Amino acid sequence: MILSVLTFLPLLSALLIVLLPTAWQQRYKYITLLTTLVQVIISIYIYLNFADNQAGVTREQGFQFVEHRSWIGLDLGSLGRLQIDYFMGLDGLSMPFMLLTSVIMFVAALSSWEITRNLKGYFALFLLLDTAVIGVFGALDFFLFYIFYELMLLPLYFLIGMWGGVRREYAAIKFFLYTLFGSVFMLLVMIGLYFSVNDPVTGNHTFNILQMMNPNNYTDGALFSQIANQQLFGIPARLLAFIILFIAFAIKVPIVPLHTWLPDAHVEAPTPVSIILAGILLKVGGYGIMRICFGIFPDAAIHSAWWLGLIGVVSILYGALNALAQTDLKRLIAYSSVSHMGFVLLGVASVTAEGASGAMMQMVSHGFLSAMLFFLVGVLYNRVHNREIANFRGLALIMPQYTVFIMIAFFASLGLPGFSAFIAEVFSLIGAFNSQSINGLLPRWMAVGGSVGILLGAAYFLWTLQRMFFGQTRLWGGEEWRTQLTDVSVREKLALVPMAALALVLGVFPSLVFDKINTSVLEFVNHVLNK
Amino acid sequence: MQQSISQSINEILYGLGYLLPELALTALFIIVIITGLFTGKRADKVTGIVSFTGLLIAGYFTAGQLTTESTVSLFGGMIALSRLAVYLKLILLLCGMLFLLFTQINAELQQHKKGLSDLYAIVIATLLGMNFMAMTANLLMLYLSVEMVSVGSYLMVGYVSSNTRQSEAAIKYALFGAVCSAVMLYGISLLYSFTGTLVLDNEFIANLRVTPQLGASLAVLLVLAGIGFKLSFVPLHFWTPDIYEGASTPVTAFLSTAGKVAAFGVVIRFLLAFSPRHGFLIVDFQQLLSIIAIITMIIGNFAAIWQDNIKRMLAYSSIGHTGFIMMALIAFSDASAKAMIFYLFVYTLMNMAAFMLADYIEQKTGTLKISEYKGFGKKLPLAFCALVIVLLSLIGFPATAGFIAKVLVFSSALELYNFSGSVLLLILMAMGALTTVVSLFYYFKIPLFAYLKKPDAEPVIFSLPKNAAFGLYISAGLALLLVVFGLFPQLVNGWVELTIR
Repeated sequence: MILSVLTFLPLLSALLIVLLPTAWQQRYKYITLLTTLVQVIISIYIYLNFADNQAGVTREQGFQFVEHRSWIGLDLGSLGRLQIDYFMGLDGLSMPFMLLTSVIMFVAALSSWEITRNLKGYFALFLLLDTAVIGVFGALDFFLFYIFYELMLLPLYFLIGMWGGVRREYAAIKFFLYTLFGSVFMLLVMIGLYFSVNDPVTGNHTFNILQMMNPNNYTDGALFSQIANQQLFGIPARLLAFIILFIAFAIKVPIVPLHTWLPDAHVEAPTPVSIILAGILLKVGGYGIMRICFGIFPDAAIHSAWWLGLIGVVSILYGALNALAQTDLKRLIAYSSVSHMGFVLLGVASVTAEGASGAMMQMVSHGFLSAMLFFLVGVLYNRVHNREIANFRGLALIMPQYTVFIMIAFFASLGLPGFSAFIAEVFSLIGAFNSQSINGLLPRWMAVGGSVGILLGAAYFLWTLQRMFFGQTRLWGGEEWRTQLTDVSVREKLALVPMAALALVLGVFPSLVFDKINTSVLEFVNHVLNK
Repeated sequence: MQQSISQSINEILYGLGYLLPELALTALFIIVIITGLFTGKRADKVTGIVSFTGLLIAGYFTAGQLTTESTVSLFGGMIALSRLAVYLKLILLLCGMLFLLFTQINAELQQHKKGLSDLYAIVIATLLGMNFMAMTANLLMLYLSVEMVSVGSYLMVGYVSSNTRQSEAAIKYALFGAVCSAVMLYGISLLYSFTGTLVLDNEFIANLRVTPQLGASLAVLLVLAGIGFKLSFVPLHFWTPDIYEGASTPVTAFLSTAGKVAAFGVVIRFLLAFSPRHGFLIVDFQQLLSIIAIITMIIGNFAAIWQDNIKRMLAYSSIGHTGFIMMALIAFSDASAKAMIFYLFVYTLMNMAAFMLADYIEQKTGTLKISEYKGFGKKLPLAFCALVIVLLSLIGFPATAGFIAKVLVFSSALELYNFSGSVLLLILMAMGALTTVVSLFYYFKIPLFAYLKKPDAEPVIFSLPKNAAFGLYISAGLALLLVVFGLFPQLVNGWVELTIR
């Protein structure tokens, strides 16, 4: 029940906002803020009550806060019955994201104070997006997952397109087309899986993701049965399905070369939407790869692990090199996201406990840090409507508190020990390094390549810090900018402090996350390696 | 002799019992003409109410036929009443009723000096023909019903010929239509001379089997071409955009929905004769139709990208949808028949709603051009909100009925793939998915202009009579239904129980 409340509470608030008269539009943001605050409280409750000794991943019994009801039952004549369940539940792989999503949404709501136009539409779409994201992480029925997954696109399209920057139309449709391209083919695979898998209890076909993970549930000779080993266009059907699903999620992550929507979307999106994009939506890709791609097609995942690792390394290096070359602060951070998300792929592809834990940790840590970074860029942009790196110098002198937050965010992001990103990246790299001796999936040089990425990360962050914040204050906008560039306000601190604290706390006590996810990660690794 | 006469009279009398909806439509046709003549100035309102009530009565009779268990052959094999046909007839009547409502809110038709009573009579006659299309079991009946619908459609397209563009559309339509029926008639005459029978039964197939392959295939293709004109699949689609643009919007909406539903009905009846149950395929329909469907999806969807006029855009998108529904036709199973009924029902709702909204927006803003919608999103919030939902459903976006419809069609195609393993089917499905992405591009041009682009000047909104707002509420209601059926498709699907035969 609690999971449904968490998921659909924002939807109810959105309806409330739609129904309230426009004269009250100044109160919409308080409704939104209150909603997200309640969500944070609920997810903290979930976190505290989450039993860390239950694995989940492949068995429904191991999931917690489960809700399982039948939803759509269609009689399809010769095809049998189309059975779709409302099936939500949490395990170690999804629970951290509930907390992450709630906190990021709260921060994004705080950051929405900058929105001034058409507030009714904005906050309604914002809350719709909130529902969709929470739903994605909670859904355990593929059909339900797909609905939430697609539902995310719609509010984002309008949020970027209506409240975005100059080239917002281009960015919005590019983002929409990219993602939809990935997901329509996912739909075909989903239907194919449906007809391959039988629920052992009812005998009907099923969309249940957990049943899809069990090779014994596949009908003999079915399209995606492991034993039947069917081919499509000369490629093994399971491998093709894995690739299609991987591409769909990889677009979200994003990986090189499917990342080109990201800088555009980030740069054009208003700050709160950037925060949501970087903080949560990229994680949907990583989560989907773990839960759906690796979970349902472990054989194909092992088969392609080398390539996935390579893509991860390429993303790390390519993203970092691109970040070095950026002149726009927001683009720089967008590319740093590409680089950091590469560690997730590298860690998952190693299929080791260290790598998978590191990937999970990296997603959580990057969630907070990228949200913080985008929030900080937004602070600057709101004051002078400019974010060219070259236009600022010596900001430390006029905005000392802001500089402190920037330094925390930068140092945490570049992987300074004591911050969460350090733990996450180290674990991912250990996983990649050990992979050769443990399961022989990834060669050692991939780990080395990944660590070069950390070095590059340090380079672009420190260089930016030096260029923008140190030295004599020189601003492109002159005296006018100097008066506009006031230090961070109380509201902004309210958003920044928790994120900075989380980055530090998770760096010092990573067990806060690791303890909760460990059982599930081990189960996940064993499942993929078929032990 | 006497025996056979009384026997056939008995058969006819027996058959009439199954023809109540059609008899009701015939009676309604006459009543509407007469009331139209005698009510003078109030003719529009009165005939409108009479027609709507009449259609409800016909719907009541049709719903009564849902109790028929298996297909009933009537009038010496002229007509076959199957459950599938009954569902199609219900959808057709729904189209008719929505059309009647639509005429009430369309300014062009309301101000038309000829009045509306004649149009109502024509629609009813067209619906009658469409009903027969869905039930035909005989080549002659097939031709007659298609012609009846064609003549009705020509009249409807030409009903408001206020400018040359509209006259051009009407004459184009009549010319193309006449050529296509001539072609079809030629095919039918060939088939008759090959087989010696017009009834689409086992004897017909058996006789066709012994005729030379080339001749038989040619004859079948010619008949398919005639039907293809009605379905407007590629390459017989070229008339659609001009006619859809030229005809008045309610007529376009009616022809693009009801016309498709009836055409799918008749093509199913025709293909049934050739279905694998008879163990004989003269033409490899699966392959032929797959190729046609692929091309239709590609051309329909890609051509729609470059359209600026919303009616033309919807015309091309309807070609794309035809290609998609053909996927269910190719699968040709009980499941695919169900999927097709669901798709056609949903398509009726969303297409009608899309045209109604386009019409409403045209009356409010004076433009049909998508590129001139700039800034209207905020001025007409309800209309554009409903339109976005309808467009999402047309794309097949989750949580709308259009999504469920696509899932069902994909499912039935995949079932056939599991059975046959044909690569062409895989390509067909992949193309269905790919064109869905393409369709996003042109459907979303509307919200792009209405919401995202900033207007150059303050948008001007005309105030309208009350009945136009009535249309807005109807279409908003339809949009809401699309979401409800998307979340709970069993509300529709639970009623549908059929086999394809």
